[in-house]
Amino acid sequence: MRRSIRPLVATAVAAIFFVPLYVVCVNVIKPGPKIAKSPASLPIPPTLHNITAVLTRPDRLFWVSLTNSIVVTALSIIILTVLSSMLGHYLARGKSRWGRWLTLLLLCGLMIPPQVILIPITQVLRFAHLMTTIQGLVLFNVGYYVPFGVFVFTGFTRSIPVELEEAAAMDGAGRFQIFWRIVFPLLRPATASVLIFLGVWIWNDFIDPLVILGPGQGTTITTGIYRAIGQYQADFGTVFALMFLATLPVLIFYLALQKHFVKGLTGGATKG
Amino acid sequence: MAVDVARPPTRTGSPAVPRRRRPVWPRVWHFLSFGAPGVLVYVCFVLAPIAVSVGYSLTNYNPFGPKTRFVGLSNYKQLFTDSEFLTSLKVTTILTLIVVIVPNVFGLAVALLLDRRGWLYNALRSVFFTPVVLSSVVVSIIWTRLLADDGLINQALRGVGFSHPPGWLSDPSYALYSVGAILSWQMLGFCVVVYLAGLQGIPQELHEAAEIDGAGPMERFRKITWPLLAPALTINTIVMLITGFKAFDHIQVITNGGPGTGTTATIAFNVLQTGFNANREGYASAMAIVMLVIVAVAAAVALRILQKREVSM
Repeated sequence: MRRSIRPLVATAVAAIFFVPLYVVCVNVIKPGPKIAKSPASLPIPPTLHNITAVLTRPDRLFWVSLTNSIVVTALSIIILTVLSSMLGHYLARGKSRWGRWLTLLLLCGLMIPPQVILIPITQVLRFAHLMTTIQGLVLFNVGYYVPFGVFVFTGFTRSIPVELEEAAAMDGAGRFQIFWRIVFPLLRPATASVLIFLGVWIWNDFIDPLVILGPGQGTTITTGIYRAIGQYQADFGTVFALMFLATLPVLIFYLALQKHFVKGLTGGATKG
Repeated sequence: MAVDVARPPTRTGSPAVPRRRRPVWPRVWHFLSFGAPGVLVYVCFVLAPIAVSVGYSLTNYNPFGPKTRFVGLSNYKQLFTDSEFLTSLKVTTILTLIVVIVPNVFGLAVALLLDRRGWLYNALRSVFFTPVVLSSVVVSIIWTRLLADDGLINQALRGVGFSHPPGWLSDPSYALYSVGAILSWQMLGFCVVVYLAGLQGIPQELHEAAEIDGAGPMERFRKITWPLLAPALTINTIVMLITGFKAFDHIQVITNGGPGTGTTATIAFNVLQTGFNANREGYASAMAIVMLVIVAVAAAVALRILQKREVSM
């Protein structure tokens, strides 16, 4: 008897939990005036007006933000993967005391709230003429998220037998060759974790692009939405459509790579 | 750790025989080529800014104010008599407690409910995890609509007979708890997934053996499941602790620190308000450093306590 109750209870709890997301989905294809009056009603008849309104805005807010978000996220995670895999390898293979100190120093970075460094960061970036530029934001992302990359790669590199590298060195391969031809391909699960988590985090970052790209300059998807709610106080249809379109890429990414998400998250939970 | 036991004789050998060291240059080159680029960016964009912050916090730096001069610890002294800061300390503590407790409790309950095999449970797990990958701005806007005075929640409450439902986000006595609930809703899926992995790592035989010995479901939970979930509890608590402490996006988007004065202004929010809007960067830096110290101490203490509970099988 209990066997038949569990799926029902689980589904009911999930359904309640899902209500806010359901509201977004139905309101994207509902005519504007109806949204405020009956937010939860089914969108009959459906309309694509909200979505086309966002896509054809004269200032191209959605397209500009989307391009910026893609560029920032892609550049950041590629550079992060390269730098943190090499640094992680260096730390995992080193046995010196200095390496252990360096690891500790990097791990501290995992819990530093961005607010602590944002005020001086603006000075550092202004000094380097990188304030309000995409390059500045990418560099900041790399510095801020490098501890997470190093944390994942160091742990994973330790699980790869060092004999492989020693054999290659014996055969006369250089350090870079050994790393990129032999070690890096074996790090694929770690690379997947780093790309996925940092990809989602950087895509969703709000305060960093808001401060670094500055007002008026560039916008990313998140800061774009934030600015749009100011302009469209009353037009919820457009706001919902913008949020829906902005979330679509990350949602598809998540649904396609779900397994890796779960694996990456739970590596530490099952160690016992 | 125990591996070194056999080695001390060679390590502590007489100092007259110097240990042969590998030549220095290859090691330096190894660091420069592999380690340095990552370390350099980290130093420039994280460590150096922290050092700069510490420096600022000892001055009255304000880009539009009087000439910058050294003021010693007076910023820090001022902080602890500043009612605005003390309020934000209280707000942050309440918010962090909500965000640590609520997703942990409900996350564990949901994980226990979903701890079965099959497509249905996998699909439901995805439902719970979805808000975790959503942007906090999107989550904030959705909930701002739902909790508005004429939003869905209040429409429903009026429908079932409450003629004056509370202003969830406009009433100073509710707003902080509403924001806490929103953050908890978003982070719940994280706890669910981590607890589920923990549950699935517990060998079935333990439950069977206990059942044979006559242990009921409650006792099995208390004696087997709960202790073996300790590593999952550690991860969830630490992650939620840090999430609660640095909560900023939701506050900026949903309440902007209000309603009223500072009823939902966390330290993270106040640091940026003071630094960028009031331009009191010296004072804001002192606040930021205090915040960093609190986060570090809280995380270290929590980690210590929680890891002691972890048993190895």
